[in-house]
Parts: sequence; structure tokens; C-alpha cells
Amino acid sequence: MTTSTVAVGRGTVSPALTIAALTITEALRRRLVLAFIVITAAVVGLSAWGFNRLAHHAGPGITSGEVNLAMPTSYILFMFMFSFVVALSASAIASPAISGEIDSGVLHAVAARPVRRAEILLGKWLGLAGLLAAYTAVVCGLEYVVVYWSSGYLAPDPVPVAAYLFAEGAVLLTLVLALSTRLPTLAAGVIGVAVFGIAWLGGVVGTLGTGFGVTALTTASKVVSYVVPTNGLWQGAVYYLEPQNYIIQQLVTQNDKGDPFFAATAPSAGYLAWAGVWFVLMLGAGVISFGRREL
Amino acid sequence: MSPARSADQDAPAAGAGAPPATGGAPGPAGTPGSDPPGTDRTSPAVHAIELHKRYRTTVALDGLSMTVARGEVFGFLGPNGAGKTTAVKLLLGLVRPTGGEAMVLGAPAGDRETRRSIGYLPEQFRYQSWLTAREVLVLHCRLMRLDRSRWRDEVEGALRTVGLADRGDDRVGTFSKGMQQRLGLGVALLGEPALVVLDEPTSALDPVGRHDVRVIIRGLRDRGATVFLNTHLLEEAETVCDRVTVIDRGRAVASGTMAELTGGQASVRLRITGLSGRWWQSLERFGRWSTDRDWLLVEGIAAGQIPDLVAAAVGLGGRVEAVVPQRQSLEDRFLELLGEQ
Repeated sequence: MTTSTVAVGRGTVSPALTIAALTITEALRRRLVLAFIVITAAVVGLSAWGFNRLAHHAGPGITSGEVNLAMPTSYILFMFMFSFVVALSASAIASPAISGEIDSGVLHAVAARPVRRAEILLGKWLGLAGLLAAYTAVVCGLEYVVVYWSSGYLAPDPVPVAAYLFAEGAVLLTLVLALSTRLPTLAAGVIGVAVFGIAWLGGVVGTLGTGFGVTALTTASKVVSYVVPTNGLWQGAVYYLEPQNYIIQQLVTQNDKGDPFFAATAPSAGYLAWAGVWFVLMLGAGVISFGRREL
Repeated sequence: MSPARSADQDAPAAGAGAPPATGGAPGPAGTPGSDPPGTDRTSPAVHAIELHKRYRTTVALDGLSMTVARGEVFGFLGPNGAGKTTAVKLLLGLVRPTGGEAMVLGAPAGDRETRRSIGYLPEQFRYQSWLTAREVLVLHCRLMRLDRSRWRDEVEGALRTVGLADRGDDRVGTFSKGMQQRLGLGVALLGEPALVVLDEPTSALDPVGRHDVRVIIRGLRDRGATVFLNTHLLEEAETVCDRVTVIDRGRAVASGTMAELTGGQASVRLRITGLSGRWWQSLERFGRWSTDRDWLLVEGIAAGQIPDLVAAAVGLGGRVEAVVPQRQSLEDRFLELLGEQ
């Protein structure tokens, strides 16, 4: 029999890049990007007002030292809200990416083309991750600039913070995209949100375990952080959101006990390596699962 | 093909029982001086042997075997739930068989590069609603990796052929179901595919649309493409197909040309006056006959013998005032076949 050793036509690009561009076009045309811009502008505006009030209109008897301590705490809380938005958005945009198109039939015409299933999945991932990266970069940059402009507070290390937030969202994106190759849209999305919540709660439990010397809780938290590394990566973002004097003060005053918004150390290199392995394994699982999925 | 193979095939091996195919290695679709995959015309367009497909407890295909020759319009007929769409998806590699094997354009079904030579209109035709019709077609040119220099001609040609030339810049989301099916047909025509698989291509079309589809199918045949027409509309198959296979409960129950399928026999009604007794005696050689007032009905007559029957009547002095051939329709035969199962 003959086998095809086929060169491709001139001026063509990888199908994965074509799918990635299609995914971004969809987000733009379905006004997803517009919705993000509007919501982000509103929240950043609100934070500007809040930081301004905090910095310049503190009540009588409040010392500047207390205000200085409140600044990083408030900033971390705002960034937690953004991390929440990043993670939930990752889940929401990834859950219909495969299953929704299988259900609607859109994928049948695409998958019948000379395209590997892996290229379709990776293209979707690239497009969605690109959107997530852009959103994270914009939101972290905007918040950094706006808070400084409105209150004079200059948060430390905005780049690692953005990187950790993106990594957290990318982990959830990859998990939900893999689930989307097998589960209906709603189920994949709900599981993604639930997993994110459980992982965060696992982090809180670990903080309590450490603070109050309960080894079992600390161990359980560690296990959860390895099974789903979203909270571990959030802790990395928290660490880089904290000024050094803030960390020292929290440790000295032992205010860190049971505080889920405090991280005394950055994630270890070993943990980050594991998060990388986890990501590759999950993406690989998604590729294999989709490759074997019957349409 | 192994049942355990991934649905996504890159470099499949030839399966046992596949018909031999010879010829040079096919080249890229759209690359000057080289043949697109599937242009090796020595192998059948489709060759399936004992295909089985089981979904948990449901048997969708139960030993389906069929061969579709190059360049023919092949009708794949069957009632709802007979396994037609499953068979089509299997040929395109969208699902895997649980047994048997299939070759498409000389390569195992689902072979990725061979899919460059296949146009496909799915039964569930849906396209990106946020794109314009023109953008959908360009997307498929990209996915097929057609030479960029051909995109414009391919896209405009497809829009013209399916009657959407004036709606090319409208979003698909604004299209009626029939227009979306026309667009799907246009997508299937891109890149001059060697095999065009149409799964219920007129399900959403009005009579004008159905007529247009027939014209398009004939055009494909004229340029040498193979058309695999999956339908439960017998009239559609009867009008355009060179050959049909009837499938029921996952098995082929009959296969052949229209004439072969209807037994090559016909009935004819004649209105004849002025005949002598000798005429009536000679009728037995043409078939079973009966009369109804001025009308004579001859059943089981070979289609080619009707002129002989008329000539015999005239030769014996009869006046033939009307001849009404009544060939057994595909529908009669279809119902008969399904009744036999």
C-alpha cells in the first residue's frame, strides 16, 4: 500500500497555532475580553479609592506604622480576589473548550481534518493560557500602578506575583481542560471550582496545623498541596506580595498563626519542580484522553 | 486496524485483508507538481471488511462489509439507527471499530494525511457561530494546510457553489439551519477532495436546496470525485447514486446498482385495442399478465423487453394507445429488504 509523505502547502502554520488563534478570536467576539476589561476596571478603581482612603484618611489614633502594616495586608486581600477571578475564569473558559464543542458538533468538522487531536487540545490550551496570561499581567500591573498612584504604597516584586498567579490559573486551566475531554461542560467546570476550593481550604488547614502544632493537619495539607498545586502556588504569590519588614513583624508578633494570607517562605525549588511535573502530566493526560475520545 | 488504536492516527499500518494499492507516494494537496493523498486511483475509495462497533451493550455495526469504487456516487441507505452515521465516523477516524477494518483512499480509515483528501459534511453540522462564512472556509483551508495562494479561489468558489456568495461576510450565527448546511457543504468541497462524505446533506434544505445538492453531487462525479452519500431519503439516492448499499442493524443487507437492487425487472401497463387471440397466447414469454378493462398489466418483464412487447403488439395489428412503465421503486425494494431482516 502507499503511505503519504505529504508536505504542506506554502504559507500555512501549525494547526495548534490556528486553533489557538481561533480560541482567542472566540473570546474577543463573544465579548469575554470586554467583560473582563469592564470588571477589572471597576475593581481596580474600587481598590484605588480604598487605598487612598486608607493611606490619607485613617481615623484618629491610628499610627502611621499601623497604616503601613495594613497596606500589604489589604494588597494581599485584593490580589487574593484577583487570584480567585483568575482561577475561576480558568475553570469557566476551559470547561466548554472540548466538551462543549463535541456536544454542539463544531468539533466534528475540525477533527475530520488532517489535524492531530493533540494539536487541537494544545491549540485550545495555548489560546486560553494566552488569554489568562494577558489578563494576569494586565491586572497585576494595573493594581501595582494604581495602588502606588492612589496611596503611595509600592508593593514588592510584581513580576513574580504575576507569574505565580498565572501558574495557579494555568494549573486549574490544564486540569479542567483535561476533564473537559471526558466530562460534560458543567461537570468539568464544577469539579474545577471545587478542586480549587478544596486546595485553598487545604492550605488554611495546614496553616492552622502549623500554628497550633497539629501534625496531622499539616501533613494532610501538604498532601493536598502536592495533589493539586494551586494553593501552593498562591502561597508563592503571597510571599512575593509581602515586604520583608512585614514578614519579620508578623513572625515576631506571632500574628502569622492560622493566617492563610501569610507566607514566611517562598515555595521550594523542589515544590516548583513538582508543580511543573504535575502540569506536564495533566496536559499529557488530557492529550491521551482526547486522542482516545470517540466523537 | 487494531480496535485498540487511537482515534487519532498519524502513520497507520495497512491492515490484513485490505486490497492492495500500488502507485507512487502521493504528494501534498495543493502543491504544484505533486499529487494529493488519495489520488492513487488503483485502490477503492472505501473498502470495509466485517466492521464491528459496539457501544457498551448497543451494537451499532455488526459485520459491515462494503466497497465503494473510485469516481462513483455511492448511496448508503438505511433506516434511522441502522448504523449509517457510525460507519461514516469510523471511516473518518472519529470513532474506532471494535472489530474488522476499513481502508479509505488506500490508507487505513482515519489516517491523518489521507483526511486532506476527504471532504466531510457531518450529520450534526455546526460551525463557529462567531465567525463569518468566509472565515469558516478560510479556517478549514488552514486546517487542511492548503497552499495559501489557493485560499481565495477555494473560498469564493465554495461560496458560489453553495449559493452563499452574497452572505460570505455574515456571521454564521445569523444563518438559518439550511444556510448552515449549505456552508457545511461548501466546507466539504474545499481543496477538490478525492472523496466527499455527505451525511444526510439535505436534512435542513428546502426543495431548491435539495435540487442544488443534486447538481453539486453530479458536478463532483463529473470531475472524478467519489461521493459517499449517507441518507435515509430514498428519492435522493435514486436520483443521483450510481450504486447503493442498504444497511440495517449494522449489516449490509443489499448492495448494487439501482437496476440490480430492484431486480432489473419492471411492470408495464399498456392500453391496447384491436388484437387477435394469438397475441394473448404469446404474452407468457414477457411475464405474468392480467387485464383491467382496456388496460393490460405485465409484471416481471425485463426492463429491456418493453419495446419488444410493444413491437409484438403492433406487429400483430394492435393499436398501442399508451405505455406506462412501472419499475419497482427503490422504496418498494427497501421496504422488502428491511422486511426480510
